Amino acid sequence: MAISMHKWPLRLLVIIAIIVVGVFGMRTLKQEPLYHSQSYVFGTLVDISIYGETEDRAKFFANKILQDFQNLHNQLHAWKPASNNQPSELGVLNAAFANGKKPIEISPQLANMLTDATALSVRSQGLFNPAIGHLIGTWGFQRDEFSAINIDDTKIKALVKANPRMTDIVIKDNTAYSNNPEVKLDLGGYAKGYALDIAATYLREQKVKNALINIGGNIIAIGKHGDMPWRVGIQHPRKPAAIATLDLADGWAIGTSGDYQRYFMLDSKRYCHIIDPRDGYPVQHTQAVTVLIPPQKNAGVLSDVASKPIFIAAAQDKAKTAAMLGIQYFMMIDAHSNIFVSKALMDKLDWLDPEVKNNSHVKLVTLP
Amino acid sequence: MLSLLHSPKPTFRHLLIGDWFTIISCAIIIVFLFQTLWSHEHAAKVQIRIGDKIYAAYDLNQQRDIILHGPIGDAVIHIEQGKVRFVKSPCHNQYCVHQGWLVHSGQVAICLPNQISLELIGKQKPYDSLNY
Repeated sequence: MAISMHKWPLRLLVIIAIIVVGVFGMRTLKQEPLYHSQSYVFGTLVDISIYGETEDRAKFFANKILQDFQNLHNQLHAWKPASNNQPSELGVLNAAFANGKKPIEISPQLANMLTDATALSVRSQGLFNPAIGHLIGTWGFQRDEFSAINIDDTKIKALVKANPRMTDIVIKDNTAYSNNPEVKLDLGGYAKGYALDIAATYLREQKVKNALINIGGNIIAIGKHGDMPWRVGIQHPRKPAAIATLDLADGWAIGTSGDYQRYFMLDSKRYCHIIDPRDGYPVQHTQAVTVLIPPQKNAGVLSDVASKPIFIAAAQDKAKTAAMLGIQYFMMIDAHSNIFVSKALMDKLDWLDPEVKNNSHVKLVTLP
Repeated sequence: MLSLLHSPKPTFRHLLIGDWFTIISCAIIIVFLFQTLWSHEHAAKVQIRIGDKIYAAYDLNQQRDIILHGPIGDAVIHIEQGKVRFVKSPCHNQYCVHQGWLVHSGQVAICLPNQISLELIGKQKPYDSLNY
């Protein structure tokens, strides 16, 4: 059959080609301007999303943030020297504290951090206590790779009795000394939150409208993800999945303390890195505490710090402790996986975990 | 249509507006189906990051072991019909191995010491970032 093969398939092909190009073109236009980077800094994962900037600009900002984190890490590391033979600024200060009451010079930045951390420690009635570095070290958590230790009860009792407190530190004109030689600073529960605030401030100064910064699990939001708010998942303490999700609006921050982040097992008991300064032992009654912080100047710091005292406080004191710190939005999961959520946070959560969805063990805590 | 087939000179002039409509609709449907069904974007995948870089993304509809060369040594992950897990890792605490199977989109397993992360990617990301 002499069908004119060249004539009508050609025109049809042209039409189809136009449609294909059109559809692909639209998809390309629709592709969102989202830059995403992940890096390992701070001994943890730093995950930065920037929306609505050119890739070059976003990359530049992300790298700058990572660089700042790395510098902060070198400055504040509790057990690693900043470089060979050069202890971190915090290491120098800790050595000076142990050597007596001679004031040494510290950077204005560190002075501000210590003043702020002391205020928070006082507010938490000492449950947030970055001065117990010796205890944390004794439990073996000041190592990159830690393992079960032989629990030295006598030593732990002595360290608790020495009663190192933030208020033992005297800061004046960018110098510091400690009235108690047993004070050893470990800012592990503060530095990540501080870094979040620095990053958020920097991005806002650079007129970045939309970003989500996650440092080792602590997250702060700037703006939105396109038309939608940024959305974050909260890790289930015993499953490799999120237990719930929530929207993180502009300026809000979220932080979780969990017994699953750093721990070791000994005689089938879990020893986590969160230590009760009152008895010197790792907390064993709680799996996780999450706090959500509304926009404020130090939202990042609060997201890091505020979960610790609530984690450490006994079950009956948890809500009271949250109130003491001005925390309205919080969730705690106890050792039996029971979940307690404040009313304010409950309204914001979308449960993902099927067990929780069935409402089998969600209890509501109302603030006193 | 019969006359069209037997006609010695079938040209476009024989096509009526309805024929055009059919041809163009078919073309659109084909393109649409191609996009949704053929492309792998919607199949559940595992995205592997080593250090700062995305190392690879693998389809989950297969059964295989993959050896990953991290900064402190070789880790082995196992993919099996829709799920993935760390099987071996040179790290000390083995948290990554204890994490077990990742099944749902958005689930993540991270090995901090060896700087390897696995993330399940699905049709939609249930969240932008994970708080832990």
